[in-house]
Amino acid sequence: MTDTEVLLQQVITGLSNGMIIALIAIGYTMVYGIIELINFAHGDLFMLGSFLALTLLGALGLEAVEGVGTWATIGLLLVTSAGFCGTLNVVIDRFAYRPLRKSPKLSLLVAAIGCSFILVNIGLFWGGIPMDVFSMGRAAAAPKNFPNLLGHDNLLGDSAILLTRGDLLVVVVTVPLMIGLTMLVRLTRLGKAMRAVAQNPSAAALMGIDVNRVISSTFFIGGALGGFASVVYALYNNTISFQMGYRSGMDAFTAAVLGGIGSLPGAVLGGLLIGLMRAMSDQYIAAHWTNTIVFSVLILILIFRPSGLLGFKLREKV
Amino acid sequence: MHLSSLRSRWIRPTPLLLGAAALWPLADAFLPAGMQVIEPLRTVFIYAILALGLNVVTGFTGLLNLGVAAFMAIGAYAFGILTCEIYPFQIGFWPALFATLGIGAFAGFLLGAPLLRLRGDYLAIVTLGFGEIVQDVLKNLDGITKGTQGINPLPGPTFLASASEESGSSFFGLTWRELGVEDSTAWYYTLWTLLVLCIIAVRHLERSRTGRAWLSVREDELASRAMGIRVDRVKLIAFSTGASLAAFAGALAASGLSSTGEPANYDFQISILAVCIVIVGGVGSVSGILVGALVMIGINSIVLSKAADWIAASGLSSSDNVLLSPSNWKFLLFGLALVLMVHLRPQGILPPSLEDEPGGDEA
Amino acid sequence: MKKSTIVASPLAFLLVGSLAIPAVGGDLVGTLKIVSSLPRTGSANAQTTSIVNGIRMAIDEVNGMVDGYTIAYEDWDDASPQRGNWDPAVEGENAKKAARDDEIIGYIGTFNSGAAKIAMPILNKAGLVMISPANTYPGLTKPGLGEANEPRVYRPSGTINYFRIVPTDDLQGAVAADWAKELGATRVFVLHDRELYGKGIADVFVHHSKEIGTEIVGAEGIDTKASNYRSLCTKIRATNPQLVFFGGTTQTNAGQIVKDLRGAGITVPFMVPDGCFENAFIEAAGADNVNGSAYITFGGLPAEEMTGRGAEFVKAYVVKYGIKPEAYSAYGYECCKVLLEAIRRAPVKDRAGILKAVSETKDFDGALGVWSFDANGDTSNRTLSGQTVKDGKFAFVKVLGRSDAPAVSPAATDAAK
Repeated sequence: MTDTEVLLQQVITGLSNGMIIALIAIGYTMVYGIIELINFAHGDLFMLGSFLALTLLGALGLEAVEGVGTWATIGLLLVTSAGFCGTLNVVIDRFAYRPLRKSPKLSLLVAAIGCSFILVNIGLFWGGIPMDVFSMGRAAAAPKNFPNLLGHDNLLGDSAILLTRGDLLVVVVTVPLMIGLTMLVRLTRLGKAMRAVAQNPSAAALMGIDVNRVISSTFFIGGALGGFASVVYALYNNTISFQMGYRSGMDAFTAAVLGGIGSLPGAVLGGLLIGLMRAMSDQYIAAHWTNTIVFSVLILILIFRPSGLLGFKLREKV
Repeated sequence: MHLSSLRSRWIRPTPLLLGAAALWPLADAFLPAGMQVIEPLRTVFIYAILALGLNVVTGFTGLLNLGVAAFMAIGAYAFGILTCEIYPFQIGFWPALFATLGIGAFAGFLLGAPLLRLRGDYLAIVTLGFGEIVQDVLKNLDGITKGTQGINPLPGPTFLASASEESGSSFFGLTWRELGVEDSTAWYYTLWTLLVLCIIAVRHLERSRTGRAWLSVREDELASRAMGIRVDRVKLIAFSTGASLAAFAGALAASGLSSTGEPANYDFQISILAVCIVIVGGVGSVSGILVGALVMIGINSIVLSKAADWIAASGLSSSDNVLLSPSNWKFLLFGLALVLMVHLRPQGILPPSLEDEPGGDEA
Repeated sequence: MKKSTIVASPLAFLLVGSLAIPAVGGDLVGTLKIVSSLPRTGSANAQTTSIVNGIRMAIDEVNGMVDGYTIAYEDWDDASPQRGNWDPAVEGENAKKAARDDEIIGYIGTFNSGAAKIAMPILNKAGLVMISPANTYPGLTKPGLGEANEPRVYRPSGTINYFRIVPTDDLQGAVAADWAKELGATRVFVLHDRELYGKGIADVFVHHSKEIGTEIVGAEGIDTKASNYRSLCTKIRATNPQLVFFGGTTQTNAGQIVKDLRGAGITVPFMVPDGCFENAFIEAAGADNVNGSAYITFGGLPAEEMTGRGAEFVKAYVVKYGIKPEAYSAYGYECCKVLLEAIRRAPVKDRAGILKAVSETKDFDGALGVWSFDANGDTSNRTLSGQTVKDGKFAFVKVLGRSDAPAVSPAATDAAK
């Protein structure tokens, strides 16, 4: 491989990873925007989405589909996992977060941490279910292989640069979702209500907006995006484990903050930047310094832009 | 001073809890071997010190720090490098322990100085990132830190004790004796005393001019600024104090195990645990910290581990089924406990209102 | 300590009941307790389950009785949900709890060498024998291979109470390097997980490879929690290696690495140490990615190749648990078996007597072959085996002994009785 090819390859990898991070980051940023909660459970919700996808593949015997069937299967997985994660997120909000709306913000944070532990444990149990698709699935805690439905073929033919259907899938799923979401927030009644609640919940309530319903919708959309991301992640990486929510969640949260928490384009930009930084650092510095590089850059950026890259400079309330 | 005020002074939760802790080893000796909890309580004391520091940052000043584990690691490793026999310094337990207070404060200052103007959750992510960076650096600079090997052995506290026959040099019949990790009761009281000292120190700070400025900044940063409080400086003092106590706790933890452990032992989970202790106990409340540490550490080391022993003993467990292995439920029970506790007591178990108000006893 | 015995006895009865052992036989002289301290919470629980299965089987084989003494067993967790991994504080608590409980005469553990560093000095002062089924960091037992003060610092009482039945990193890393050369690899890329075990083996691998003239084209420590290693694999692809060695375990993401290597079109052999010798590795990697191209070293012979006691163990294990034993099952079984055997031989069944009996273990005929403990507390077993993967299952390739290797330090041979 020539140096240019290596660079291009790393850009592809970085962007693909970055888009997955961005998709999860949107879930963080939406929930944060509306109730100012760092939803620690979000990464683990995402993890459960991929376990559901794996179980579906196994239960329906779809791990060896080909051709059009592949894309139909992927569509099915995306929709189910998104619905599942969205619903679960609403349920979590209803029972764990809503009763604490009027409590100190920090108690809400602990509730989210608690939910994260609970979801991790559910993932651990889930991994222990004997299933055909876990070829010898007795080790509950072990990482699970997610069937590679997309294959390793290089879409660029004989080029030294690899562009796989996995990379394509990431773009095909994430870009429309991001555009759709932006339109939803900008153009629909719900979007308007969301922005109103984010600005000032009590004023929004006075204007006749059902605040709880708007918050639930936000949780649903955020969770559903996590669900989409979980299937893309599983198909792109082909491994899932009950602990994968931790790092994905941390990356996504970092991305949300880097871009300016509460800002949708910010979350996307943050995700892409983190993906690219990781790839470049792995290639040109050393893999064992990658985390340090990513977080040092984050700190540097925040020193100069304290509200993130695209965040608003919030007027402090008096 | 009236008798009644003396009474109310003594039924305050903090002295009550510390008094009970001081008497506990007497009761512990009567428990059967598997049931003694003096060891987990040692861990509770260390986490109480850690959380006490975090409480200054989060409770008093209202800044969320998600990276206290990093300062704990800095304390542990600094203590290790200053005392372990494989390094040239070997300055001994007490000098090293108190040095970690300064080292922690300095590390807190370095991180805090450029960053404390960040708003709440931006600061949180920066501290989280700092936690990751410290772990990486400790792992990667293995020439200095021994990487993942950890640094051991580490000395325990030394005291003057009456010289026994085998000890060589003695000074008026007294000689230095070092506590081994297995000297449970002596260690217990050492940690208890240090915890009490930390509580007194934090109380003093809280009631000082700086302490009142912390609370003021927490309640309203803008108004505080208008009142002439130098907000950045006040925040920085709080942040450094928290870092200093975290490093102190790290040094004590490492000494108590005679090993720094590996860098991964000081990861995000520890920071989260400290945050949970502060919030579950009652943000801003010292007695809350004590109860929070007891609950958060005890839930695993005492409740869950004993429960697992009993379930195993009763023959209900099976390692074949993932649901029948008690240890597989620990995450869930821990998480459930967290959720339930904040639901039942959103202000914490012992919120500050139950405590003596700062500056409450102008005796 | 009278009080504790009285209270603990009903517990012991319950325990015996739970092992479904007929407590008949009359002459109940007393109870001897064995505990294991292994990570039970979080990802390492999978391996711990294998180890504990082995331990329980060894106890069941003697019907929970040795010389009229009831053998009670407690399965302790040295991990905590807060950490999600082994927790130094909990390991310390376990060791101190064991040291204080006079009924406990054997401590099986730890899984992580870092945890052993904490438990060893405590148990040493208590004179309690400790046998590890998994620690491979050489410095725990071998002078000259760790820090200058190792292993002295783990033996404050002067006697050796720590034993292990697994070959150490210095042996396995060197054997792996030799095997890689044998497989025709002259250019090797080395990865490790930046943990004590993985990095230890990788360091030895690199060192020995250079000695035997293999070129190391790159060495990197990975981030074990990363979602994938595609960018790293691009870097590896650019160096054009003939083999990739990973010092690490299934839990530190061996499966994902091999997957991303194959995804990047790197089809060269992938070699890993015994931390990956478990079905979970194939499960995580996906059989297609490792069939015929993954090479796994293991300290001992695999189940199928065993004769004598080893073969019996495999057969009995399959009957009892319905699956073939994993590497860690054999390690767990061997630990407990050697301890039970020592209890039988000990004239006085107290800590000192049993410790002495364990240290005198000689020509022990067990599931890992016939072996003895040397003067450092290490196994004399220097037979390693090499495996590959065929049709999604491990397949034995060859024995990888290194009788010529000077891996045992001179001090050990001098002190040998």
